[in-house]
Amino acid sequence: MLPLEVTLVALLAAAVLAGLAGSYLGIGGGVFLIPFMTLVLGIDIKVAVATSLVGVIATSTGAASVYVRDHLTNLRLGMFLEVATTFGALAGAFIAVFIDRNALFVIFGIVVIYAASHMARAGGVPHAAVTDAGVSRSAERLRLSDQYTDKEDRSVHGYKVARPGAGFGISLIAGGVSGLLGVGGGFIKVPAMNMVMRVPMKPAVATSNFMIGVTAAASAFIYHSEGYLDPTLAGIIVLGVFAGTRVGTRLMVRAKAHRIKLVFSVFLAGIGIFMILRTLLTGVNF
Amino acid sequence: MNRLIFYVLRGGVVLAVVLIAIGLFLGLLNPDALPRRPADPGSILSGLLQMSPVGFIALGVIVMMLTPVIRVLLSVMAYLIERDPMYVLITAIVFVNLMVGIVLYLG
Repeated sequence: MLPLEVTLVALLAAAVLAGLAGSYLGIGGGVFLIPFMTLVLGIDIKVAVATSLVGVIATSTGAASVYVRDHLTNLRLGMFLEVATTFGALAGAFIAVFIDRNALFVIFGIVVIYAASHMARAGGVPHAAVTDAGVSRSAERLRLSDQYTDKEDRSVHGYKVARPGAGFGISLIAGGVSGLLGVGGGFIKVPAMNMVMRVPMKPAVATSNFMIGVTAAASAFIYHSEGYLDPTLAGIIVLGVFAGTRVGTRLMVRAKAHRIKLVFSVFLAGIGIFMILRTLLTGVNF
Repeated sequence: MNRLIFYVLRGGVVLAVVLIAIGLFLGLLNPDALPRRPADPGSILSGLLQMSPVGFIALGVIVMMLTPVIRVLLSVMAYLIERDPMYVLITAIVFVNLMVGIVLYLG
């Protein structure tokens, strides 16, 4: 184990980078921070997951506040899906507390590879076509359809939400992944809303950020009461990602984002493979 | 309502960051007092009074974790005022899920 000061400074730097990467790439800091904490800093993976969750709350809450103010977030859809994500998060956290650390490593590696492949894929459905085919009765009863103002083309887009049941089921899994592995889970939630539920990309991202904070909080309190949350490490991460996201949103270099994403996704996939192989081959991890 | 949620979320993050920053600064002066495990509410209170890192950092982290909870509570109240029983129920379930962990911590 490194001396405390080195660990804290290194973690701070990593958190700033994670905040930058998160706000720029759209993939959260947890996915990068946890491998860094466990593989480089030698921190217990359960502690890493717990502290990462607090950082996830920080990033997503900051972003969500802006999206809500700009009326991009679909509040009802978010609250509806949060029922699923919070149940999943509680389950995930309880499982993580009792599960073997090696198993956590392998599962994390697998999910990281999936997240990397998601980041490598381009786009999504920007504006869903508002067709009446595929209008769901339950979505109507839940009043999930909404509208948002796109700042770029300055027009209001309405959309209807499809397949709330499927979205709910996927959100259960997203919550479980978040609670188990300390990640935000946006790489599951956004496609679930955008591709399965036909929500346009911008409100999908906004609503996902809205949900991630609540989901992470649900599991974070479990880790906290089980004693796995290191407040000092968590505090460092919060400061770091806060600074990182502030800088990240000012970086207006949007060009070639796709190429950078590709590079990062390969790097991320490599980390995932490394985590899996290291655990399976040496069988020693903490 | 959207405005209020925005202020609560923003305010929560800022408050947490400020508390943590103060705590870490105090921790620079006294690294042994840095909290490495969750503290119970009593220790946090006494830590605050003694200007110890324990109090500020631990409180800042808890504020961060509570910010989404407060937001959900606001939503429950908003739907109560709007007389929207379906969404009062939905938001209340989410709130209860959040309380599971909080109750475990306090209990």
